[in-house]
Amino acid sequence: MHQLTASRRRLLLGAAAASAGALLTGCTSNDTGEGDGDRTAANDRPAADDKPGKRITIGYAGPQADHGWLNAVNDNARQRAEKYPDVTLEVTEGSNDTAQQIGQIETLINRQVDVLVVLPADGKALTRVGLKAMRAGIPVVNLDRVFNTPQAYRCWVGGDNYGMGLNAGHYIGERLKDKPNAKVVELAGLDNLELTKQRTQGFDDALKNYPNIKKVARQAAEFTVESGQAKMAQLLQAQQDFDALWNHDDDQGVGALRAVDQAGREDFLMVGGAGALSAFQAIKAGRGVLKATVLYPPTMAASAIDLARALGQGKGVSGLAEFEIPSSLTCYSAVVDKENVDQYMSTGFK
Amino acid sequence: MTQHVSPPRDGTRRTAAPAGRPARRSLPVRADVRTLTLLGVLAVLVLIGGLTRPHEFLDTRNLQLVLTQASVIGVVTVGMTFVITSGGIDLSVGAIVALSSVWATTVATQSHGLAGILLAATLVGLGCGLVNGVLIAYGGVVPFIATLAMLASARGLALQITDGRTQVVTVRGVLDLGERETYVLGVPPLVLVFAAVAVAGWLLFHRTTFGRRTIAVGGNPEAARLAGIDVRRQRLYLYLLSGLCCGIAAFLLIVLAGSGQNTNGNLYELDAIAAVIIGGTLLSGGRGTVTGSVLGVLIFTTITNLFALNNLQTDVQQIAKGAIIVAAVLVQRRTASTA
Amino acid sequence: MAPEPPLLSMSGITKSFPGVRALDGVDLDVRAGEVHCLLGQNGAGKSTLIKVLAGVHQPDSGTLRWRGERVAPRSPLAAVRLGIATIHQELDLVEHLSVAANVHLGHEPTRAGFVLRRGAATSATAALLERLGHPEIHPGRPVGTLSAAQRQIVSMARALSHDVRLIVMDEPSAALDPDEVDNLFRIVAGLTAADVAVVYISHRLEEIRRIGDRVTVLKDGRAVARGLPARSTPTRQVVAMMTGRDVGHVFPARRAQAPAQDAAVPDPVVPDAALPHRGPVATAATPSPPTSAPVLSVRGLSRPGEFAPLDLDVRAGEIVGLAGLVGSGRSEILETVYGARRPRTGRVLVDGRPLRPGSVRAAVRAGLGLAPEERKAQALLMTESVSRNVSLSALPRFARGGWIDRRAEREAAREATRELSLRPEVPAVAVATLSGGNQQKAVLARWLLRGCRVLLLDEPTRGVDVGARAELYAVVRRLADEGLAVLLVSSEIPEVLGLADRVLVLREGRVVHEAPARALDEHRVLDLVMNAHRDETDTGPRERAHRNAPGSDTRPHKDSYKDAYGEGNPVS
Repeated sequence: MHQLTASRRRLLLGAAAASAGALLTGCTSNDTGEGDGDRTAANDRPAADDKPGKRITIGYAGPQADHGWLNAVNDNARQRAEKYPDVTLEVTEGSNDTAQQIGQIETLINRQVDVLVVLPADGKALTRVGLKAMRAGIPVVNLDRVFNTPQAYRCWVGGDNYGMGLNAGHYIGERLKDKPNAKVVELAGLDNLELTKQRTQGFDDALKNYPNIKKVARQAAEFTVESGQAKMAQLLQAQQDFDALWNHDDDQGVGALRAVDQAGREDFLMVGGAGALSAFQAIKAGRGVLKATVLYPPTMAASAIDLARALGQGKGVSGLAEFEIPSSLTCYSAVVDKENVDQYMSTGFK
Repeated sequence: MTQHVSPPRDGTRRTAAPAGRPARRSLPVRADVRTLTLLGVLAVLVLIGGLTRPHEFLDTRNLQLVLTQASVIGVVTVGMTFVITSGGIDLSVGAIVALSSVWATTVATQSHGLAGILLAATLVGLGCGLVNGVLIAYGGVVPFIATLAMLASARGLALQITDGRTQVVTVRGVLDLGERETYVLGVPPLVLVFAAVAVAGWLLFHRTTFGRRTIAVGGNPEAARLAGIDVRRQRLYLYLLSGLCCGIAAFLLIVLAGSGQNTNGNLYELDAIAAVIIGGTLLSGGRGTVTGSVLGVLIFTTITNLFALNNLQTDVQQIAKGAIIVAAVLVQRRTASTA
Repeated sequence: MAPEPPLLSMSGITKSFPGVRALDGVDLDVRAGEVHCLLGQNGAGKSTLIKVLAGVHQPDSGTLRWRGERVAPRSPLAAVRLGIATIHQELDLVEHLSVAANVHLGHEPTRAGFVLRRGAATSATAALLERLGHPEIHPGRPVGTLSAAQRQIVSMARALSHDVRLIVMDEPSAALDPDEVDNLFRIVAGLTAADVAVVYISHRLEEIRRIGDRVTVLKDGRAVARGLPARSTPTRQVVAMMTGRDVGHVFPARRAQAPAQDAAVPDPVVPDAALPHRGPVATAATPSPPTSAPVLSVRGLSRPGEFAPLDLDVRAGEIVGLAGLVGSGRSEILETVYGARRPRTGRVLVDGRPLRPGSVRAAVRAGLGLAPEERKAQALLMTESVSRNVSLSALPRFARGGWIDRRAEREAAREATRELSLRPEVPAVAVATLSGGNQQKAVLARWLLRGCRVLLLDEPTRGVDVGARAELYAVVRRLADEGLAVLLVSSEIPEVLGLADRVLVLREGRVVHEAPARALDEHRVLDLVMNAHRDETDTGPRERAHRNAPGSDTRPHKDSYKDAYGEGNPVS
């Protein structure tokens, strides 16, 4: 590790500053008001250095892409790696089976890839194999679902579930702050998951700033279109009158919007979550109830590749004072509405 | 039982029939008690709904909602009733619904419009049912295993087709069927399909040779075989029927959700089996009731509706659902045994 | 001092199950230290009796005295506590547990009530196995890895792990080799020497001769002989008691022009007790003349290990009986004719046209109908109504495009059941509530309604109360008179002789004799079916292979099982 660090430090001095901030923008949103046209989300420009460096091999192990967002994550990683002539990406067959994923990662370790990017099917269960890679001298970039211990990764990149709820709550709060006795409802995701609790907690915390707004109902769907339709239909029947809806997930949002259509309701404002292309398109069209969506950006996978490349080539993050890349990076959950939707359109996933 | 046995040379025995009269109504009465119990449970649920959320619950729109939500799983349950009555099980229904809904909503299929989608959904359902049926009837694979394998492969294939993406339906004619404008005298088309399948299922079960053979195969396969019934062919037909029901359900789901997704039909197998069992069909086969299954589905859907209207969360819903299944079955056992 | 009471004394035990009276006032005395043999055919009530003794069933009436005191074991555990252990025929061992765990299952030696003392269990088991002469069985081995004989030993060790005074063994030798049987007998002798009583159930008469002290014979739920000396009672007498009639039975008259050869012989049985003729139902109505061609022909039909190549013909209006003991291949023959078993060689022809082998549907379509031995398991839908059971094979007749005309179905079923005077005359009652005889009639009605031409009857009166049998006989005879061809299998020799026109006597899968029923009597048939038993006890197996039963009207038949197979003439 010491030798690695030393060489990385030297290389860092030569790293170009041209792409300053690009790494971060790949992951966090620009505030729309900043107006720097040069910076876009999912910046096409490589983060650390355009110039080819040492040839490295990055191993990428993701879960089975059984959901639009995960699919987008895998695509982002693959496409990002293709942009670098000096990066070879070894992608495993996606798997939701913990044992199988462990086996796949161990194979990558045995093949002595330079850096590993792992989006575990189950963070806790895969901690052991993360540790193993680190001990073998292969730095691990842990994507989104976090390992049990920081020892199992060199760097963690992920989304901010609490932030999603918080930003959704603030967005809705700002729009309803002048309305007395405003009512909101929440269509949550799969209730078994920690992230659903975090999103709800963030939302509730944000609403505390607006005493005139009350959350009158919450139902949990299952991140599927079918469950979104079913639960939303029930919510609409239960609450004949409310002002805003926060839906945790754009995939189940397809079903929720269908239920809204079927019930013929348009008397409220809806905020989605994740950042699906269909949601962006609906926001842009502006005809339906969906007015905004809070990002949980799949571009974090592209950033993970950037970080992995920087790790492999011993570079740091330009624009930051430190020589080393950060040990964790939480992506910002930006709110996308009609104002800034064009900017994000290309990152929308199907 | 010795009262039926008359002395060997009793010349008057042919007129001794009335001794057995009291037993005459035993079968229909038992079935009626079961149905009445289920109706009673449903009535209690309606009462609870009327008391807790009178405005929202006792409302035409809510009735339409409950029936619409019941229609997809309801159609699956009708098919499952036949399979379970025959002593089998179909664990693949949810996966078949997923695969059918996905296959029927690919861009290529959607280009053929409503007919294309409907045809694709039913054909895929039938195809899966055929594979199940052939494996079970002619391959000698245990239904549990064969349909478990189908569950895995159909889900996998659905995932492969979609790549995990939601396939949004753009065919207007299909989407319209899920919307208010197409309601017939206030009845959603989906509910009409469900009703038609339920009535057809009831007639098939109680009025045709197919239903009778299903009961025979489930009640005593050896006796059915020795009575000259083609047990294997009957089994094949049963899984075909279940597959067909899944295909129809997939079409309803496409209309309802306006899309096809590989996660569709999640845990339908458990919901359908639960509805069939609380409806009064024997899990071991040989006795079944389509009416009971339909009531079972309505009970479950009403419970879900009640919970949502009262804003109860998932944890409470799951606990209560489990308790209600046990309670319903216990009540049924009690009433059936005292009848 | 009064004489010592017997160890066990059962008296007047009755037990009924829906549809049949399994035990009808059975008495049984067992003395300490004796081997008491229990004999009887399948269904005679042996298993029910030992289940009552083991606390599995509670008797409807009757008393149990154990060492002079009245007891009523309510559960197997209660029986074991008294000192009565049972080794069941289907060994009740848990395959994946070790020998020691099985031996102590339910009464494991424990510390503080629940901590297993495995060492104690192991050493106790080892001691028991040593005592049983099988020290080579390791107490730690999973039972699933043991041979059938070793499992038997484990079962016995389990029985002995309790402090027992009486052990019931249900056909313990069935799965054993001769050496192992010798060991079994040594164990039994050891037990009796320790004053433990053994109730021994077996079909093998020679075993009873070797180890038995006294014999009780059960028949139709009654004890027809009690406490006979096991060694001195003639075998023939014992078998006669097992197969014979304890009550006088009434067989319907054969037709005046029976197809059998010697119609002139006066009929020995009481004349027509049959029902008034009600006209044909759906059967081939006109009785065929005696010289008519056979409806059913069997040519060279065989299944190795079950029965040797068989030829037989049954004409319309004729009842052909197959007589033989358990294991003679009777039921197997019937099921193979019916297509439920696939023959190795040979053909079944109906009206001269061969049936597709091994296909029940082909047989049914050609007009065969089977009333199987196990009615509940093989013929009836017990929870369904009589009407539905009766119509099962004839459904298409009431259906147009699969649609059942339920009224027509009910009416037809009602008529068919009325034809057989099935009671109650209510087609809607569940078959499970009927008596055994009426259940059998429901099966017959099914084939009547189907319009079958050949009726195969396997033990038609098994589980039928004695009193109801005559009526069933009358029904069968009348069906034959109306033109059905009937092939009858029964282990009750008087039943075959009384009902059939022609009799084929089976022994070990071979027809050893064929004759008109009138030319045979019970003793003659007994001699024929029992020859093998005599061989074993008297002369040994050497001469068995080629010996044909002597007799004036014996027609030479297939030489022997083995020879027939040596030819190897598979018929497609």
